[in-house]
Amino acid sequence: MATILIAAIWLIAVKGGGWQQSYPHFTYLSGWGLFGLMLILTAYNGRKKLPFIPLLSSRLWLQVHLYLGLFTGVVFLLHLRWSWPSGWFEAALAFLFSTVTGSGIVGWWLSRALPPRLTTVGGEVPYDRIPEVVRALREDAERVALGAIPAARTTTLSDFYASRLAGFFAAPANFTAHLRGSRRPLNRMLAQIGEVRRFVNSEEGKSLDQLADLVRSKDAVDLQRSLQLVLKGWLFVHIPLTYSLLLASVAHIVVVYAFSGGAR
Amino acid sequence: MSAVALAPDRPRRWSVAFSEDMSDAAVQRLLGIAPFRHMNAASFPRSAPLADILRNDAGIRRYKKGEIIVREGDYGTSAFMVVSGAVQAVLSPGLPPAIVGRREPSRRGWFSTLAQWWGNSREDEVLRSKPGFGVAGGKSRSGGAEGAGIVLQDIPRVLGNHRTAALVAGDFFGEIAALSRMPRTATVFADEDGTELLEIRWQGLRDLMRHDPQLRRHIDGIYRERALATYLSEIPFIRRLPEEAKQRVMAATQFETYGDYDWSGEYKKLIQSGAMAAKEQTIAAEGDYPNGVIMIRAGFARLTQRHGHGHRTISYLGSGRVYGFDEVAHNWRHPLDPIPLQHTLRVIGYTHVLVIPTVTLEQVVLPALGPEDFPPSRVGRQEARSAPVAPISAPGTHVRGISVPAAFSGGKSRTLEESPLPVEARVDSELMEFLTENRFFNGTEAMLIDMDRCTRCDDCVRACASTHDNNPRFLRHGPVHENIMVAQACMHCADPICMIGCPTGAIHRDAFEGEVVVNPSTCIGCTVCANNCPYGAIRMVEARDESGRILVASDAKPIVKATKCDLCLDQYGGPACVNACPHDALDRVNLNTLDDLAAWLRR
Repeated sequence: MATILIAAIWLIAVKGGGWQQSYPHFTYLSGWGLFGLMLILTAYNGRKKLPFIPLLSSRLWLQVHLYLGLFTGVVFLLHLRWSWPSGWFEAALAFLFSTVTGSGIVGWWLSRALPPRLTTVGGEVPYDRIPEVVRALREDAERVALGAIPAARTTTLSDFYASRLAGFFAAPANFTAHLRGSRRPLNRMLAQIGEVRRFVNSEEGKSLDQLADLVRSKDAVDLQRSLQLVLKGWLFVHIPLTYSLLLASVAHIVVVYAFSGGAR
Repeated sequence: MSAVALAPDRPRRWSVAFSEDMSDAAVQRLLGIAPFRHMNAASFPRSAPLADILRNDAGIRRYKKGEIIVREGDYGTSAFMVVSGAVQAVLSPGLPPAIVGRREPSRRGWFSTLAQWWGNSREDEVLRSKPGFGVAGGKSRSGGAEGAGIVLQDIPRVLGNHRTAALVAGDFFGEIAALSRMPRTATVFADEDGTELLEIRWQGLRDLMRHDPQLRRHIDGIYRERALATYLSEIPFIRRLPEEAKQRVMAATQFETYGDYDWSGEYKKLIQSGAMAAKEQTIAAEGDYPNGVIMIRAGFARLTQRHGHGHRTISYLGSGRVYGFDEVAHNWRHPLDPIPLQHTLRVIGYTHVLVIPTVTLEQVVLPALGPEDFPPSRVGRQEARSAPVAPISAPGTHVRGISVPAAFSGGKSRTLEESPLPVEARVDSELMEFLTENRFFNGTEAMLIDMDRCTRCDDCVRACASTHDNNPRFLRHGPVHENIMVAQACMHCADPICMIGCPTGAIHRDAFEGEVVVNPSTCIGCTVCANNCPYGAIRMVEARDESGRILVASDAKPIVKATKCDLCLDQYGGPACVNACPHDALDRVNLNTLDDLAAWLRR
């Protein structure tokens, strides 16, 4: 498919200018072709809704979607005659198309880059179970922090938990840090745990070790959540933009034919 | 509105009899003939008296001359006894598929398939009759089991062109498939009009054998005799021998069983206790003298080699694999430079093996083989002692495989092909340890997910739900080794432990391709299958009505049903989960051998 795409792009690059000069209505043809391609690309969403019908594998559909998407971008540039439109509606339409294509490319990159990171960090948690896991970790951490008080007869550990860790365990944390692959927040918390160790006795020290393990576990869950949220969330950009683009394209077609003045 | 609905009474083991036609008169007639006449009715428990077993777990079938009773390769859960008339069993090689009328399982129609788009229930686990399960588990079609209504057209020609064995009144057949969860080993057809057979589902046969020692000994005896003869005749280096030599080999072959037939219970206890797999019984040890060739007939065995103070898993062997042949062959060709066994063979769970003694091989088999049948020469004993442990990738450490017919492959028909590079070199030993420790090699359709490609989109789960009335039949969750996850989806095991103990036969193998499926109509929710399954692939769910209310029986307890992956048997296009994955991350892989796994890893 890559070979076909490259060949098609080369053909357009070499012959495109000639076609535009030879065929006065080429813009109309490229426009309809562009619309048809967008409908085919959108059909992938429909295929996903009908898994019980043998319409070829989703894998094959995605491959076609990717390469056809890139090809559609080239046809789009050809349709624009390689220049940005001047009217506000056409400019908005072009912007919509660009963001759909761009979000698609970003999504493709995310789907290649993020899964290995999720696998490397380990501790696979299905996304819908993350709140339950976070709650369990929080309860464990609170139990460890409060459980140290009777034996130590001080509130050092519990105060430390309340001031430095309670917020961390209360909810998902460090979203952007995990996206960047930064371990700074985790290292900071572990360093703080190390700092407070000089003020506790041996029993509390064991509790601190448990807290440190729970911090690592919570951090791993937060990483899972962050990356999985992005993997799921980019479609909430790509798909609504796609349907907006289709609606705007229909409006564009109506406007073009309404104001063509017989010049077609 | 009430959250529960009163259901008809809770289904029990004999709520649905195996046959509608077993009248009291038919039962009395059976009790008057051998072997039932000689059974001591008092030795049967009150919960399962002899007469009730015959009434509820058996049925009288009548066949026309030429009508096929069972087909080789089909899966079946019942055994047969000839009551009157005669039958013929076609010995190997069997009849061509076209003659025996093979047909695929019924699927949904196109409209019914499309209707899933709008017709799937909004409520969970609504109890509906499921298309494609017209043959209720444990209930046979009239006129015969898998080959219902198919008549051989030219019996004299069949008898002339194929070897057959005649069975008469009192003879049993089909017990191997029924008891061992393996495919039928031969095609059997009626040889007279009005031939009467007693068909008994394996649950009834199990109870009869449990309480009648004479029947148990008889079944064990023919089980061993027929299985042994048929299996040996399929081994290439045995098949080409002259008849007299074959007989000598068969007479010398020993039949051994290792491990525990009900291995799942012990395995689950080990997992729950967090222990590693128990010390597995050794079948043959590295360094010992090779006093025979071992062929795995059923079950699995682990092949290991010493590594430091431990043993590293080289491979696992399933049905049809051979162990020890390389060493025996080498020693015969180089009597002055013998080598010991190069690997240790240990049972995993349970395994049946055949052992051909070395002396028989040397006298009968090896002299008849051509040079191409021998493995490459190995290093001598002296060099083997001083040489470092062979790396996993070294040629010559691979295990000889053989062509395995469908009847013995424990699954679908396949040939174990030997590639130029040993398969063990293409699958790293850590992955093999992982698969062996977790007993995943049992799976013929294990769901493997490459977590480096999986975007956690759950399209696979949604597709599964769409094809099962909005109820997904697996969890995208399971043990992970590096980037390979074995998800909790039914693996349609070669040895389906889940089928042991099912009181009604609701969980059974599909007669065509052997998928393990549950018939919700006859499932009584006893949880035996779910408890037996070592992989957590079967889930018990509360049945509901169309409005979502939980169905309860007269004892006020909810009706529960066993649910699991059925490989989308009634759908077009195969497993929906595989078709739905956009990133080629998920596949159903046969782990009985390593070839499919190696190919998937290399994709």
